[in-house]
Amino acid sequence: MSKRLEALLWVMALIAALVASFSYLEMDLAGLFRSDSATQMLGYTQAFFPPDLSSGWLRQIFHGALETLAISAIGTLLAGLSGAALSLLAAGRLGRLAKASSRLLLNTLRSVPELVWAALMVLAAGLGPFAGTLAIALHTTGVLGRLFAEALENVPTAPAKALRDSGAGPVAAFLYGTFPGVLPQWVAYSLYRWENNIRMAAVLGFVGAGGLGQMLYVTLSLFQQPQAISVIIAMLLMVLLVDALSAWLRIRLA
Amino acid sequence: MTIALEGVGLTHPGGFQALRQLTLQISSGERVAVIGPSGAGKTTLLQLLGTGLMPSAGQLHLLGDDPARLQARGLKRLRTRIGLIHQSPPLPPRQRVITAVLAGRLGSWSLSRALVSLCYPLDIPGARAMLEPLDLDDKLFVRCDQLSGGQLQRVGIARVLYQRADLLLADEPVSAMDPVLADHTLALLNRIAADRGVTLVASLHAVDLALRHFQRIIGLRDGNVLFDRPSAQVSDDDLSALYANQSLAEQGHEVVRPARPAGLGAGTGILRTAPRCL
Repeated sequence: MSKRLEALLWVMALIAALVASFSYLEMDLAGLFRSDSATQMLGYTQAFFPPDLSSGWLRQIFHGALETLAISAIGTLLAGLSGAALSLLAAGRLGRLAKASSRLLLNTLRSVPELVWAALMVLAAGLGPFAGTLAIALHTTGVLGRLFAEALENVPTAPAKALRDSGAGPVAAFLYGTFPGVLPQWVAYSLYRWENNIRMAAVLGFVGAGGLGQMLYVTLSLFQQPQAISVIIAMLLMVLLVDALSAWLRIRLA
Repeated sequence: MTIALEGVGLTHPGGFQALRQLTLQISSGERVAVIGPSGAGKTTLLQLLGTGLMPSAGQLHLLGDDPARLQARGLKRLRTRIGLIHQSPPLPPRQRVITAVLAGRLGSWSLSRALVSLCYPLDIPGARAMLEPLDLDDKLFVRCDQLSGGQLQRVGIARVLYQRADLLLADEPVSAMDPVLADHTLALLNRIAADRGVTLVASLHAVDLALRHFQRIIGLRDGNVLFDRPSAQVSDDDLSALYANQSLAEQGHEVVRPARPAGLGAGTGILRTAPRCL
Protein backbone atom coordinates (compact mmCIF):
# COMPACT_ATOMS: atom_id res chain seq x y z
CA MET A 1 0.00 0.00 0.00
CA SER A 2 2.74 2.38 1.01
CA LYS A 3 4.55 1.54 -2.26
CA ARG A 4 1.57 2.68 -4.29
CA LEU A 5 1.36 5.84 -2.28
CA GLU A 6 5.04 6.44 -2.94
CA ALA A 7 4.59 5.90 -6.71
CA LEU A 8 1.64 8.28 -6.71
CA LEU A 9 3.72 10.91 -4.93
CA TRP A 10 6.50 10.56 -7.52
CA VAL A 11 4.04 10.99 -10.42
CA MET A 12 2.54 14.08 -8.76
CA ALA A 13 6.01 15.54 -8.22
CA LEU A 14 6.90 14.96 -11.89
CA ILE A 15 3.70 16.65 -13.06
CA ALA A 16 4.34 19.57 -10.74
CA ALA A 17 7.90 19.93 -12.10
CA LEU A 18 6.63 19.88 -15.70
CA VAL A 19 3.98 22.52 -15.00
CA ALA A 20 6.54 24.65 -13.18
CA SER A 21 8.95 24.37 -16.15
CA PHE A 22 6.29 25.48 -18.63
CA SER A 23 5.27 28.47 -16.57
CA TYR A 24 8.91 29.41 -15.86
CA LEU A 25 9.78 29.39 -19.59
CA GLU A 26 6.55 31.27 -20.44
CA MET A 27 6.06 29.05 -23.48
CA ASP A 28 3.15 30.01 -25.69
CA LEU A 29 2.36 26.55 -27.07
CA ALA A 30 -1.19 27.53 -27.81
CA GLY A 31 0.18 30.17 -30.17
CA LEU A 32 1.26 27.36 -32.49
CA PHE A 33 -2.34 26.41 -33.11
CA ARG A 34 -4.08 29.79 -33.49
CA SER A 35 -6.07 30.39 -36.66
CA ASP A 36 -3.54 32.70 -38.36
CA SER A 37 -0.38 30.83 -37.27
CA ALA A 38 -0.55 28.26 -40.09
CA THR A 39 -0.68 30.97 -42.76
CA GLN A 40 2.14 32.83 -41.01
CA MET A 41 4.34 29.72 -41.01
CA LEU A 42 3.51 29.05 -44.64
CA GLY A 43 4.39 32.64 -45.52
CA TYR A 44 7.75 32.43 -43.73
CA THR A 45 8.54 29.10 -45.40
CA GLN A 46 7.59 30.49 -48.80
CA ALA A 47 10.02 33.34 -48.31
CA PHE A 48 12.84 30.71 -48.54
CA PHE A 49 11.77 29.59 -52.01
CA PRO A 50 12.93 29.48 -54.66
CA PRO A 51 16.51 28.95 -53.41
CA ASP A 52 19.08 31.36 -54.78
CA LEU A 53 20.93 29.30 -57.40
CA SER A 54 22.66 32.17 -59.18
CA SER A 55 26.18 31.25 -60.24
CA GLY A 56 27.75 33.97 -58.10
CA TRP A 57 26.06 32.75 -54.91
CA LEU A 58 26.76 29.10 -55.75
CA ARG A 59 30.45 29.94 -56.15
CA GLN A 60 30.43 31.61 -52.74
CA ILE A 61 28.71 28.54 -51.25
CA PHE A 62 31.31 26.30 -52.88
CA HIS A 63 34.08 28.34 -51.28
CA GLY A 64 32.26 28.23 -47.94
CA ALA A 65 31.90 24.46 -48.17
CA LEU A 66 35.60 24.12 -48.98
CA GLU A 67 36.40 26.30 -45.98
CA THR A 68 34.24 24.11 -43.73
CA LEU A 69 35.92 20.97 -45.04
CA ALA A 70 39.35 22.51 -44.55
CA ILE A 71 38.53 23.64 -41.00
CA SER A 72 37.40 20.14 -40.04
CA ALA A 73 40.28 18.38 -41.82
CA ILE A 74 43.07 20.58 -40.42
CA GLY A 75 41.43 20.65 -37.00
CA THR A 76 41.18 16.84 -36.90
CA LEU A 77 44.72 16.42 -38.23
CA LEU A 78 46.16 18.74 -35.57
CA ALA A 79 44.09 16.96 -32.94
CA GLY A 80 45.31 13.57 -34.18
CA LEU A 81 48.95 14.62 -33.90
CA SER A 82 48.72 16.28 -30.51
CA GLY A 83 46.35 13.56 -29.28
CA ALA A 84 48.90 10.92 -30.26
CA ALA A 85 51.65 12.76 -28.40
CA LEU A 86 49.51 13.26 -25.29
CA SER A 87 48.20 9.68 -25.40
CA LEU A 88 51.77 8.39 -24.98
CA LEU A 89 51.97 10.33 -21.73
CA ALA A 90 48.41 9.42 -20.72
CA ALA A 91 49.11 5.71 -21.21
CA GLY A 92 51.88 6.04 -18.62
CA ARG A 93 54.83 5.50 -20.96
CA LEU A 94 56.85 8.36 -19.47
CA GLY A 95 56.17 8.14 -15.78
CA ARG A 96 53.31 8.66 -13.40
CA LEU A 97 53.50 12.44 -13.07
CA ALA A 98 53.27 12.85 -16.87
CA LYS A 99 50.38 10.39 -16.91
CA ALA A 100 48.35 12.25 -14.29
CA SER A 101 48.97 15.71 -15.72
CA SER A 102 48.27 14.75 -19.32
CA ARG A 103 45.04 13.00 -18.26
CA LEU A 104 43.97 16.15 -16.49
CA LEU A 105 44.76 18.20 -19.59
CA LEU A 106 42.86 15.80 -21.88
CA ASN A 107 39.85 15.81 -19.57
CA THR A 108 39.80 19.61 -19.52
CA LEU A 109 40.08 19.87 -23.31
CA ARG A 110 37.32 17.32 -23.77
CA SER A 111 34.86 18.68 -21.25
CA VAL A 112 34.68 22.13 -22.89
CA PRO A 113 32.38 21.84 -25.96
CA GLU A 114 33.54 22.93 -29.41
CA LEU A 115 31.14 25.88 -29.51
CA VAL A 116 32.53 27.27 -26.26
CA TRP A 117 36.09 26.77 -27.53
CA ALA A 118 35.07 28.55 -30.75
CA ALA A 119 33.62 31.51 -28.86
CA LEU A 120 36.85 31.74 -26.84
CA MET A 121 39.06 31.35 -29.93
CA VAL A 122 37.15 34.06 -31.81
CA LEU A 123 38.08 36.37 -28.95
CA ALA A 124 41.69 35.17 -28.97
CA ALA A 125 42.40 34.77 -32.70
CA GLY A 126 39.76 36.97 -34.28
CA LEU A 127 36.81 36.15 -36.53
CA GLY A 128 37.31 33.55 -39.26
CA PRO A 129 38.36 30.00 -40.09
CA PHE A 130 41.51 30.05 -37.92
CA ALA A 131 39.40 30.31 -34.77
CA GLY A 132 37.18 27.44 -35.94
CA THR A 133 40.17 25.24 -36.71
CA LEU A 134 41.67 25.88 -33.29
CA ALA A 135 38.36 25.19 -31.56
CA ILE A 136 37.95 21.84 -33.30
CA ALA A 137 41.60 20.93 -32.73
CA LEU A 138 41.37 21.67 -28.99
CA HIS A 139 38.21 19.70 -28.26
CA THR A 140 39.14 16.79 -30.54
CA THR A 141 42.61 16.54 -28.98
CA GLY A 142 40.89 15.77 -25.69
CA VAL A 143 38.69 13.11 -27.29
CA LEU A 144 41.31 11.46 -29.48
CA GLY A 145 44.03 11.59 -26.81
CA ARG A 146 41.83 9.59 -24.48
CA LEU A 147 40.82 7.05 -27.14
CA PHE A 148 44.41 6.68 -28.39
CA ALA A 149 45.65 6.11 -24.84
CA GLU A 150 43.06 3.38 -24.31
CA ALA A 151 44.18 1.68 -27.54
CA LEU A 152 47.80 1.89 -26.34
CA GLU A 153 46.91 0.31 -23.01
CA ASN A 154 45.13 -2.62 -24.67
CA VAL A 155 47.71 -3.46 -27.35
CA PRO A 156 49.87 -6.57 -26.69
CA THR A 157 53.24 -5.73 -25.14
CA ALA A 158 55.08 -8.88 -26.25
CA PRO A 159 56.24 -7.60 -29.68
CA ALA A 160 57.94 -4.50 -28.25
CA LYS A 161 59.41 -6.49 -25.34
CA ALA A 162 60.91 -9.01 -27.75
CA LEU A 163 62.55 -6.19 -29.71
CA ARG A 164 63.92 -4.59 -26.53
CA ASP A 165 65.37 -7.99 -25.57
CA SER A 166 67.20 -8.13 -28.89
CA GLY A 167 68.83 -4.76 -28.25
CA ALA A 168 66.42 -2.30 -29.91
CA GLY A 169 66.07 1.16 -28.37
CA PRO A 170 62.76 2.22 -26.81
CA VAL A 171 61.67 4.39 -29.75
CA ALA A 172 62.51 1.78 -32.38
CA ALA A 173 60.81 -0.95 -30.33
CA PHE A 174 57.71 1.23 -30.06
CA LEU A 175 57.64 1.95 -33.80
CA TYR A 176 58.16 -1.67 -34.86
CA GLY A 177 56.41 -3.49 -32.01
CA THR A 178 53.59 -1.32 -30.65
CA PHE A 179 52.71 1.17 -33.38
CA PRO A 180 51.49 -1.38 -35.99
CA GLY A 181 49.09 -2.71 -33.36
CA VAL A 182 47.46 0.65 -32.54
CA LEU A 183 47.61 2.34 -35.95
CA PRO A 184 44.38 0.82 -37.42
CA GLN A 185 42.42 1.86 -34.34
CA TRP A 186 43.96 5.33 -34.33
CA VAL A 187 43.02 5.82 -37.98
CA ALA A 188 39.47 4.56 -37.45
CA TYR A 189 38.94 6.86 -34.45
CA SER A 190 40.34 9.84 -36.37
CA LEU A 191 38.08 9.22 -39.38
CA TYR A 192 35.04 8.95 -37.15
CA ARG A 193 35.90 12.18 -35.35
CA TRP A 194 36.53 13.89 -38.69
CA GLU A 195 33.00 12.95 -39.75
CA ASN A 196 31.63 14.50 -36.55
CA ASN A 197 33.84 17.54 -36.97
CA ILE A 198 32.51 18.34 -40.46
CA ARG A 199 29.03 18.68 -39.00
CA MET A 200 30.44 20.70 -36.13
CA ALA A 201 32.45 22.97 -38.48
CA ALA A 202 29.23 23.78 -40.33
CA VAL A 203 27.72 25.09 -37.09
CA LEU A 204 30.80 26.82 -35.64
CA GLY A 205 30.31 29.72 -38.06
CA PHE A 206 27.40 30.88 -35.91
CA VAL A 207 29.87 32.25 -33.38
CA GLY A 208 31.95 33.75 -36.20
CA ALA A 209 34.41 30.94 -36.80
CA GLY A 210 34.16 30.78 -40.60
CA GLY A 211 32.75 28.34 -43.13
CA LEU A 212 29.17 27.65 -44.26
CA GLY A 213 27.81 28.35 -40.78
CA GLN A 214 28.97 31.93 -40.91
CA MET A 215 27.27 32.40 -44.30
CA LEU A 216 24.05 30.93 -42.90
CA TYR A 217 24.20 33.18 -39.85
CA VAL A 218 24.82 36.30 -41.92
CA THR A 219 22.06 35.57 -44.48
CA LEU A 220 19.50 34.72 -41.77
CA SER A 221 20.35 37.91 -39.88
CA LEU A 222 19.86 39.96 -43.05
CA PHE A 223 16.54 38.16 -43.84
CA GLN A 224 17.99 36.81 -47.10
CA GLN A 225 15.98 33.57 -46.94
CA PRO A 226 16.56 32.35 -50.56
CA GLN A 227 20.32 32.62 -50.00
CA ALA A 228 20.01 30.93 -46.61
CA ILE A 229 18.09 27.90 -47.96
CA SER A 230 20.82 27.29 -50.60
CA VAL A 231 23.39 27.23 -47.79
CA ILE A 232 21.23 24.78 -45.79
CA ILE A 233 20.85 22.51 -48.83
CA ALA A 234 24.62 22.67 -49.40
CA MET A 235 25.23 21.66 -45.76
CA LEU A 236 22.85 18.71 -46.07
CA LEU A 237 24.51 17.51 -49.26
CA MET A 238 27.98 17.85 -47.78
CA VAL A 239 27.13 15.91 -44.62
CA LEU A 240 25.42 13.14 -46.62
CA LEU A 241 28.42 12.90 -48.92
CA VAL A 242 30.92 12.77 -46.07
CA ASP A 243 28.86 10.15 -44.19
CA ALA A 244 28.86 7.91 -47.25
CA LEU A 245 32.57 8.45 -47.89
CA SER A 246 33.56 7.77 -44.30
CA ALA A 247 31.39 4.63 -44.09
CA TRP A 248 32.99 3.34 -47.29
CA LEU A 249 36.50 4.11 -45.98
CA ARG A 250 35.89 2.38 -42.67
CA ILE A 251 34.55 -0.73 -44.41
CA ARG A 252 37.67 -0.78 -46.56
CA LEU A 253 39.98 -0.35 -43.55
CA ALA A 254 38.29 -2.98 -41.38
CA MET B 1 82.83 -19.84 -22.38
CA THR B 2 79.65 -18.50 -23.97
CA ILE B 3 77.29 -19.35 -21.13
CA ALA B 4 78.13 -20.00 -17.49
CA LEU B 5 75.55 -20.45 -14.73
CA GLU B 6 76.70 -20.74 -11.09
CA GLY B 7 73.94 -21.84 -8.73
CA VAL B 8 71.38 -19.77 -10.60
CA GLY B 9 67.86 -19.72 -9.17
CA LEU B 10 64.83 -17.90 -10.47
CA THR B 11 61.64 -17.26 -8.53
CA HIS B 12 58.74 -15.67 -10.41
CA PRO B 13 56.93 -12.72 -8.78
CA GLY B 14 54.07 -15.05 -7.78
CA GLY B 15 56.51 -17.04 -5.65
CA PHE B 16 56.83 -19.97 -8.05
CA GLN B 17 60.39 -21.26 -8.11
CA ALA B 18 61.06 -22.02 -11.78
CA LEU B 19 64.81 -22.71 -11.56
CA ARG B 20 66.79 -23.90 -8.52
CA GLN B 21 70.55 -23.92 -8.10
CA LEU B 22 71.33 -24.38 -11.78
CA THR B 23 75.01 -24.84 -12.65
CA LEU B 24 75.84 -25.16 -16.33
CA GLN B 25 78.57 -24.38 -18.82
CA ILE B 26 78.11 -24.13 -22.55
CA SER B 27 81.14 -23.32 -24.66
CA SER B 28 81.30 -21.28 -27.79
CA GLY B 29 80.00 -23.06 -30.88
CA GLU B 30 78.21 -25.82 -28.95
CA ARG B 31 74.72 -26.90 -30.04
CA VAL B 32 72.61 -27.93 -27.10
CA ALA B 33 69.01 -29.14 -26.77
CA VAL B 34 67.08 -28.66 -23.54
CA ILE B 35 64.34 -31.25 -23.04
CA GLY B 36 61.96 -31.96 -20.20
CA PRO B 37 58.29 -32.17 -19.27
CA SER B 38 55.99 -29.13 -19.37
CA GLY B 39 56.67 -26.76 -16.51
CA ALA B 40 60.23 -27.98 -16.06
CA GLY B 41 61.61 -24.45 -16.54
CA LYS B 42 62.78 -24.67 -20.16
CA THR B 43 61.17 -21.39 -21.26
CA THR B 44 62.35 -19.64 -18.09
CA LEU B 45 65.91 -20.84 -18.69
CA LEU B 46 65.85 -19.53 -22.26
CA GLN B 47 64.38 -16.18 -21.19
CA LEU B 48 67.14 -15.96 -18.60
CA LEU B 49 69.77 -16.63 -21.27
CA GLY B 50 68.05 -14.03 -23.46
CA THR B 51 68.27 -11.42 -20.64
CA GLY B 52 64.47 -11.11 -20.63
CA LEU B 53 64.61 -12.24 -16.99
CA MET B 54 67.32 -11.68 -14.40
CA PRO B 55 68.35 -14.44 -11.96
CA SER B 56 67.10 -14.06 -8.39
CA ALA B 57 70.10 -16.02 -7.07
CA GLY B 58 73.53 -17.09 -8.29
CA GLN B 59 75.83 -15.88 -11.05
CA LEU B 60 75.04 -15.71 -14.75
CA HIS B 61 77.67 -15.00 -17.41
CA LEU B 62 76.71 -14.49 -21.06
CA LEU B 63 79.31 -13.89 -23.77
CA GLY B 64 81.72 -12.68 -21.12
CA ASP B 65 79.31 -10.26 -19.42
CA ASP B 66 77.23 -10.41 -16.27
CA PRO B 67 73.85 -8.97 -17.43
CA ALA B 68 72.74 -8.19 -13.88
CA ARG B 69 75.71 -5.81 -13.42
CA LEU B 70 75.61 -4.09 -16.81
CA GLN B 71 74.51 -0.48 -17.30
CA ALA B 72 71.74 0.24 -19.79
CA ARG B 73 74.15 0.83 -22.66
CA GLY B 74 76.17 -2.31 -22.00
CA LEU B 75 73.02 -4.41 -21.65
CA LYS B 76 71.73 -3.07 -24.97
CA ARG B 77 75.02 -4.04 -26.64
CA LEU B 78 74.91 -7.51 -25.10
CA ARG B 79 71.30 -7.96 -26.20
CA THR B 80 72.12 -7.26 -29.86
CA ARG B 81 74.46 -10.28 -29.65
CA ILE B 82 71.76 -12.63 -28.34
CA GLY B 83 68.80 -13.75 -30.48
CA LEU B 84 65.80 -15.57 -28.99
CA ILE B 85 63.36 -17.45 -31.24
CA HIS B 86 59.98 -17.51 -29.49
CA GLN B 87 57.56 -20.41 -29.53
CA SER B 88 54.76 -18.13 -30.72
CA PRO B 89 56.59 -15.26 -32.41
CA PRO B 90 55.47 -11.89 -30.99
CA LEU B 91 54.85 -10.19 -34.34
CA PRO B 92 52.22 -7.46 -34.82
CA PRO B 93 49.45 -9.02 -36.96
CA ARG B 94 49.36 -6.15 -39.45
CA GLN B 95 53.11 -5.94 -39.97
CA ARG B 96 54.50 -7.17 -43.26
CA VAL B 97 56.89 -10.11 -43.21
CA ILE B 98 59.73 -8.01 -44.63
CA THR B 99 59.42 -5.44 -41.82
CA ALA B 100 59.16 -8.15 -39.17
CA VAL B 101 62.38 -9.77 -40.42
CA LEU B 102 64.30 -6.50 -40.77
CA ALA B 103 63.32 -5.60 -37.18
CA GLY B 104 65.88 -8.20 -36.11
CA ARG B 105 68.69 -5.70 -36.61
CA LEU B 106 67.08 -2.71 -34.86
CA GLY B 107 69.66 -3.04 -32.10
CA SER B 108 72.51 -2.22 -34.45
CA TRP B 109 70.63 0.24 -36.68
CA SER B 110 70.46 3.96 -36.03
CA LEU B 111 67.04 5.39 -35.27
CA SER B 112 66.93 7.30 -38.58
CA ARG B 113 67.69 4.11 -40.50
CA ALA B 114 64.94 2.29 -38.56
CA LEU B 115 62.50 5.12 -39.40
CA VAL B 116 63.31 5.07 -43.10
CA SER B 117 63.09 1.28 -43.24
CA LEU B 118 59.66 1.42 -41.65
CA CYS B 119 58.38 3.42 -44.64
CA TYR B 120 60.49 1.71 -47.28
CA PRO B 121 62.28 -1.60 -46.43
CA LEU B 122 65.99 -0.91 -46.84
CA ASP B 123 67.43 -4.41 -47.05
CA ILE B 124 65.07 -6.49 -49.18
CA PRO B 125 67.81 -8.85 -50.46
CA GLY B 126 69.03 -9.46 -46.90
CA ALA B 127 65.57 -10.44 -45.68
CA ARG B 128 64.95 -12.55 -48.76
CA ALA B 129 68.20 -14.42 -48.17
CA MET B 130 67.01 -15.38 -44.67
CA LEU B 131 63.53 -16.44 -45.82
CA GLU B 132 64.68 -18.42 -48.85
CA PRO B 133 66.09 -21.50 -47.05
CA LEU B 134 62.94 -21.49 -44.89
CA ASP B 135 60.84 -21.69 -48.07
CA LEU B 136 59.07 -18.40 -47.35
CA ASP B 137 60.64 -15.97 -49.82
CA ASP B 138 57.33 -15.77 -51.72
CA LYS B 139 55.68 -14.31 -48.58
CA LEU B 140 58.06 -11.35 -48.32
CA PHE B 141 55.37 -8.68 -48.68
CA VAL B 142 52.49 -10.55 -47.07
CA ARG B 143 51.02 -9.38 -43.78
CA CYS B 144 51.79 -11.56 -40.74
CA ASP B 145 48.10 -12.18 -39.98
CA GLN B 146 47.77 -13.99 -43.30
CA LEU B 147 50.32 -16.68 -42.31
CA SER B 148 49.76 -20.04 -40.63
CA GLY B 149 51.29 -20.85 -37.25
CA GLY B 150 54.15 -22.77 -38.82
CA GLN B 151 54.86 -20.00 -41.32
CA LEU B 152 54.82 -17.44 -38.52
CA GLN B 153 57.35 -19.50 -36.55
CA ARG B 154 59.62 -19.51 -39.60
CA VAL B 155 59.31 -15.72 -39.91
CA GLY B 156 60.40 -15.51 -36.26
CA ILE B 157 63.38 -17.71 -37.05
CA ALA B 158 64.28 -15.60 -40.10
CA ARG B 159 64.21 -12.45 -37.95
CA VAL B 160 66.65 -13.89 -35.41
CA LEU B 161 68.91 -15.27 -38.17
CA TYR B 162 68.92 -11.80 -39.75
CA GLN B 163 69.96 -10.33 -36.39
CA ARG B 164 73.34 -12.15 -36.74
CA ALA B 165 73.56 -12.94 -33.03
CA ASP B 166 76.54 -14.68 -31.44
CA LEU B 167 74.23 -16.71 -29.24
CA LEU B 168 71.14 -18.30 -30.80
CA LEU B 169 68.36 -19.31 -28.42
CA ALA B 170 65.22 -21.11 -29.56
CA ASP B 171 62.18 -21.84 -27.41
CA GLU B 172 60.25 -24.70 -29.04
CA PRO B 173 61.07 -23.32 -32.49
CA VAL B 174 59.24 -26.01 -34.48
CA SER B 175 56.20 -26.75 -32.29
CA ALA B 176 53.70 -25.55 -34.93
CA MET B 177 55.31 -27.34 -37.90
CA ASP B 178 54.63 -30.71 -39.47
CA PRO B 179 57.28 -33.43 -38.84
CA VAL B 180 59.05 -33.04 -42.19
CA LEU B 181 59.22 -29.26 -41.95
CA ALA B 182 60.30 -29.45 -38.29
CA ASP B 183 63.12 -31.80 -39.23
CA HIS B 184 64.21 -29.59 -42.12
CA THR B 185 64.06 -26.41 -40.01
CA LEU B 186 66.11 -27.86 -37.14
CA ALA B 187 68.71 -29.16 -39.59
CA LEU B 188 68.87 -25.68 -41.12
CA LEU B 189 69.26 -23.97 -37.72
CA ASN B 190 72.09 -26.34 -36.82
CA ARG B 191 73.78 -25.88 -40.17
CA ILE B 192 73.63 -22.09 -39.94
CA ALA B 193 74.90 -22.18 -36.35
CA ALA B 194 77.78 -24.42 -37.44
CA ASP B 195 78.57 -22.24 -40.49
CA ARG B 196 78.61 -19.08 -38.42
CA GLY B 197 80.37 -20.77 -35.52
CA VAL B 198 77.74 -19.50 -33.04
CA THR B 199 76.29 -21.22 -30.01
CA LEU B 200 72.78 -22.69 -30.30
CA VAL B 201 70.55 -23.57 -27.34
CA ALA B 202 67.07 -24.88 -28.17
CA SER B 203 64.29 -26.28 -26.03
CA LEU B 204 62.29 -29.08 -27.63
CA HIS B 205 59.34 -31.27 -26.80
CA ALA B 206 60.15 -33.88 -29.43
CA VAL B 207 62.91 -36.06 -27.96
CA ASP B 208 63.71 -37.78 -31.27
CA LEU B 209 64.37 -34.41 -32.93
CA ALA B 210 66.62 -33.36 -30.06
CA LEU B 211 68.64 -36.58 -30.21
CA ARG B 212 68.94 -36.47 -33.98
CA HIS B 213 70.04 -32.86 -34.40
CA PHE B 214 71.96 -31.81 -31.30
CA GLN B 215 75.33 -32.83 -29.93
CA ARG B 216 74.47 -32.34 -26.30
CA ILE B 217 71.23 -32.88 -24.37
CA ILE B 218 70.26 -31.26 -21.07
CA GLY B 219 67.33 -32.88 -19.28
CA LEU B 220 65.49 -30.36 -17.10
CA ARG B 221 62.93 -31.32 -14.47
CA ASP B 222 61.35 -29.15 -11.77
CA GLY B 223 63.98 -26.46 -12.33
CA ASN B 224 66.90 -28.87 -11.85
CA VAL B 225 69.30 -30.46 -14.31
CA LEU B 226 68.47 -34.17 -14.28
CA PHE B 227 71.14 -35.12 -16.79
CA ASP B 228 73.56 -33.35 -19.11
CA ARG B 229 75.46 -35.51 -21.59
CA PRO B 230 76.27 -36.00 -25.27
CA SER B 231 73.20 -37.14 -27.19
CA ALA B 232 74.77 -40.50 -28.04
CA GLN B 233 74.99 -41.31 -24.34
CA VAL B 234 71.39 -40.47 -23.41
CA SER B 235 69.79 -43.75 -22.34
CA ASP B 236 66.18 -44.85 -22.22
CA ASP B 237 66.42 -44.82 -18.44
CA ASP B 238 67.37 -41.15 -18.55
CA LEU B 239 64.34 -40.36 -20.66
CA SER B 240 61.86 -42.37 -18.63
CA ALA B 241 63.15 -40.75 -15.45
CA LEU B 242 62.74 -37.36 -17.11
CA TYR B 243 59.19 -37.82 -18.29
CA ALA B 244 57.81 -40.37 -15.78
CA ASN B 245 57.05 -37.63 -13.35
CA GLN B 246 53.30 -37.48 -13.89
CA SER B 247 52.49 -40.43 -11.61
CA LEU B 248 55.40 -39.53 -9.33
CA ALA B 249 54.11 -36.02 -8.89
CA GLU B 250 50.67 -37.28 -7.91
CA GLN B 251 52.19 -39.63 -5.33
CA GLY B 252 54.29 -36.77 -4.09
CA HIS B 253 51.15 -34.72 -3.53
CA GLU B 254 49.64 -37.51 -1.47
CA VAL B 255 52.78 -37.67 0.63
CA VAL B 256 53.03 -33.95 1.33
CA ARG B 257 49.35 -33.76 2.21
CA PRO B 258 49.20 -35.72 5.41
CA ALA B 259 46.69 -33.47 7.16
CA ARG B 260 43.69 -35.37 5.90
CA PRO B 261 43.00 -38.37 8.16
CA ALA B 262 41.09 -41.12 6.37
CA GLY B 263 38.88 -41.86 9.36
CA LEU B 264 37.31 -38.40 9.46
CA GLY B 265 33.64 -38.22 8.49
CA ALA B 266 32.66 -36.57 5.22
CA GLY B 267 30.54 -33.99 7.02
CA THR B 268 33.36 -32.68 9.18
CA GLY B 269 35.65 -32.69 6.14
CA ILE B 270 33.33 -30.36 4.27
CA LEU B 271 32.87 -28.14 7.30
CA ARG B 272 36.61 -27.90 7.64
CA THR B 273 37.36 -27.12 4.02
CA ALA B 274 34.41 -24.93 3.13
CA PRO B 275 35.58 -21.74 4.86
CA ARG B 276 38.98 -22.09 3.20
CA CYS B 277 37.38 -22.31 -0.22
CA LEU B 278 35.52 -19.08 0.45
